[in-house]
This record gives sequence, C-alpha cells and structure tokens, in this order.
Amino acid sequence: MIYIIDHKDSFTHNVVHQFSRFDKVECDNFNDINETKLKKSNVLVFSPGPGAPKDYPLTSRIYKKYKGKKKIIGICLGFQQILYCEKGKIIEQNKIYHGFQSKIKTTNKSLLFKKDQKFTVGRYHSLKLKEPFIAKNFEITMRCAISNVAMAIENNNEKIYGFQFHPESFLTENGNLLIKKILSA
Amino acid sequence: MKKDNYLKDIAESKKPFIIYKSNKGFDLFTDFSKKIILSNKNIKNFINNSIKKKIKNKETDLYIGFFGYEILNNLIGVKINKQKGLKFPKGIFYKPETKKKLSNKLNYKSSENLKSKSTFNVNLNKASYKNIFNKFKKKIKSGETYQIKICTKYRKNSKIDALDFFCRLTKSNMAPEAFMINDKDYSIISCSPENLITKTKNIISTKPIAGTLKKSKKLNKSKALSFFKKNIKETKEHNMIVDMERSDLSKICEVGSVRIIKKKIVEEYKDLYHYVSLIAGKLKKNTSSLEIIKAMMPGGSVIGCPKISTLNLLNKQEKENRNIYTGSFGYLKFNGDMRFNIIIRSILNYQNQSEISVASGVVIDSNASHEFNENYIKAKALIDLYK
Repeated sequence: MIYIIDHKDSFTHNVVHQFSRFDKVECDNFNDINETKLKKSNVLVFSPGPGAPKDYPLTSRIYKKYKGKKKIIGICLGFQQILYCEKGKIIEQNKIYHGFQSKIKTTNKSLLFKKDQKFTVGRYHSLKLKEPFIAKNFEITMRCAISNVAMAIENNNEKIYGFQFHPESFLTENGNLLIKKILSA
Repeated sequence: MKKDNYLKDIAESKKPFIIYKSNKGFDLFTDFSKKIILSNKNIKNFINNSIKKKIKNKETDLYIGFFGYEILNNLIGVKINKQKGLKFPKGIFYKPETKKKLSNKLNYKSSENLKSKSTFNVNLNKASYKNIFNKFKKKIKSGETYQIKICTKYRKNSKIDALDFFCRLTKSNMAPEAFMINDKDYSIISCSPENLITKTKNIISTKPIAGTLKKSKKLNKSKALSFFKKNIKETKEHNMIVDMERSDLSKICEVGSVRIIKKKIVEEYKDLYHYVSLIAGKLKKNTSSLEIIKAMMPGGSVIGCPKISTLNLLNKQEKENRNIYTGSFGYLKFNGDMRFNIIIRSILNYQNQSEISVASGVVIDSNASHEFNENYIKAKALIDLYK
C-alpha cells in the first residue's frame, strides 16, 4: 500500500490518481496521520504543498523514522522535504516557476533513466535546492536544461526518490512512466 | 401569453423569482413554496436531503439558490474572522413550483425612474491595493501561494429595478452562467461566464476560465488564441487552474477517469474572448452531493492556488465580507444532478445598498497598476448599468 502524506495542496489528488494506477493508495493530511496506515504502507509519498520544508516538522519526523525502512518518494515540496532532512539548504530562486512548462535532462548519475534524455515537465516551485549538495548515497539525476537547477534525486541504496517538477501535471510528458519506474525500482 | 408580457407581469406581481441562463434562452423560476436560509448548522442537512427518493421528475423538482463565500469556506474547515460589511444571509435556496422558458431576448423596462446622483465608492485605493499586492508577491516568493486574487469592492446607496438591470445586462453581455434573483428584501444580478459544476448522473464536469481579452477590430478568434498562447503569464495562470481543477475532481472521481476534454481553447462572447478548458470525470460510486460541493467549492479559479493556504491568506487580509462574491449559484435537483456557476461579475442589492466586487490575479510577473485597472474594467460594465 502507498501512503500519501498531503501537505494540503491543490495538486495532491492528481498524485493520488497517478499512483493509484499501480497500487492501492491511502492519503491523509500531514497533521492527521493514521499510525496504522503509516506502519502498513510499503511506500511513503510526500505531496507537493505551499511553504517550505521547515514548516512541516511532522513530515520530517516521519522521514527520519522510516528512511531505509520503506521506499520514500517526494514531489515538489516533498522533494525539498527529503533534501532538507538530508541537510540540504532550500532557498528562494530569482526566477519563479508556477504553471511553467520547461525542458529538463537526465544526468549520467541515474541508474533508472537513460542519461542525456531531454523531456518536458510541469513546474510549480518558488524554492530550490542550494548547491553544492552532498549527502551519502544521494545523486542528482535530473536537471533543468537551461538553469541546471536540481530536478530529481535518486538514492537507490535506501530507495529514496524525488522530483522537483510535477509528474502528475498535465504539463509533464510521460509522467506515469516515471512513477512506474520509481515504484518498480 | 406572450413571453415578453410575462416579464412585465412577474415584475408587477411582486412575487420573488429567479432567472437562469439555459442552453437556448433563459429559465424563469417562481411560486416558491419553500425558502431555506442557510447557516453553518443546517447546510449539511440541506445538501444531503436535497436528494429525494420519491420523485415524479417534474421540472421543478429542485432547489435553486446560492452559497455565499463564507459558508463555503466554513464547509471545508476554513475559518474567517469577523468582517465588516452588509449582514447578508450566507446562502439562500428556494423550491420553485413554476418554471417558464424564456427566449434569449429579454425585454422589460422599468416604469420607475430610480436613477440617483450618488457615485460608487471603492474600498481600496491604488496605494493600498499596491500595498496588498506587494505583500502577496512576497508570499509567492516564499512559496505560500502560487497565485492569489485580490478583491476590490465598489459600493453605493441606491434602489434598483433588478429585472430592468438584468435585461440590459444580457443585451450588452450574454454570459452562459448569467442569473438574477429578485426577492422582497434583496436582489442579485450576474453575468457570470463560468460554470463550476455540471453533474448529470455519474458524469461531472467543470469549465474554468483563466484569461480574458476584450474584443477589438484587429482581433479574431485565432488571433486571440495565439495571443493567449504567446502570453506566458496567462498561460501559466491557466495551467495552474487546470491542474487544480483536475485535482479537485480527482477527489470524487474514479481513478483514471478525469480527463481534459477541451484543452485551452478560446470561446467567443459578445465583447470578450475567454481562454477556457473543460475537464470531466466519472464520479466514484456513492459520492454524496455534500462531498461533491466540498471538493469543488469555493471554485479555485477565482481564489488562487493552492486553495486552502491561499484562502487563509485572503481571509487574513480582507476586512470586508465577500458575501455572494466567489460563492456559487445554481440548483440541486431531487435526482442528484446539479449545476453551479461561480458568482462573479455580479451586483448584490440589499437594504438599498449596491455592492459590486471584482478580483484579479497576482502571480509572480503581474503588475499592480495593470491589475488594479483590470479590476476597474471588470466593474465598469456593471457600474454603467446605473447610468
């Protein structure tokens, strides 16, 4: 079962529908987590949401508790939440992307995706990862084709994955395929 | 009886009535046997009990009316602190016993001369608008909201003949979700273009508008489309609304059934081009009317995104009650079908005060002066009715 932790976002149910194509999904608000579902799940998904990772200490606690024990996937804010828990700095960016379609590319660090592949994605983020970012077992596996901002991470050892863009957006090409690959990794 | 005379008769009868745009013309509802004034206490029961088991499938087997902005916030758990403004009911629904079909040509002229010399006052001047605008831009930079709509209000003391106003409004602006309510102590007139919910059996759709262009001689439909496509700000706003409405529908629809039926097309109206999308899905079995309303209302395209945090930001900022503005008008049929719009481009007349609210969006690349003026342009079509 996949347990999606919702940060009260207006895109979360697109995420729910996307993951429901592959497995049974449960979804609750971050401040209303059901312990039984949390324990029973084998995949945790941190949803997109407003604000910054520092606003969601409850989600950070869940991450630290289950890191390495369950597969964890973060989307947008959820992606930043993982990086923040791994001591990454999340900062405001000059150019803001809300409802923006842009090209990104895979780096040669990915084990799941062919390198130097370019594709179109939908983005909704004010904040970004400050680099350099170094954390054990983590690789930046996708970047913005223009600005080089980090767009995806993989930690294949502990099965932790994340996307800064929105695979569930209608603006993203082949979003379902990305999720399928991550879920079967 | 001739249809034209019917309008005159209904106006003279002093009976409350409602007119709502239909496919081919307008529907008029009257002879109300029930009037339900909504509160936080009775709203859930009202919505749940709007489905009746024994129905004869009469055309009047429905409740028609509106939900105000505040009650829709409360329904999804968003609180609003005490605000100033008219103490107008939070929502009212009626059970009609008579329905008449009217053509698109509504002819009625008021016999009274109600013109007054007073002018409209606006609740935000340009400086305070800019102030709020810059505050919200910071909130966008920090990621608390991605898009937020600042509301300004125009107000003046006046008596109006609502039917006369509505007939003139439909001549200058024929909108697909136009409606009016005329009751003893208040009236509402709206040329809303936006459908929020159309539900027939287990199919539900929503048709958000994000992007409006005034017609000119140089413009045609395909030029309007290329304008919207090239305009990055309009495109981003629209994309955001499409993803938000997909998500709202996904709360109540079967997995994989939510589809964009019409993606970013231009629709032509008398004076305007609108940039619209149509999104639909198949409802999960046993979804209640209350669940549908909570998932979809208040309509996202006039609030901003993400809905909850943006509503909280708005409610902290706004000192005056929005009343009907950005609420929804429509009907709940006894068989569970429903149709609701988003109440915008509207006049509320209550206790001899007229209130016109308008809003325009702040995204990261919008400009305060432009949006402030945009608000005025939106209000002007309604303000002109008082001339």
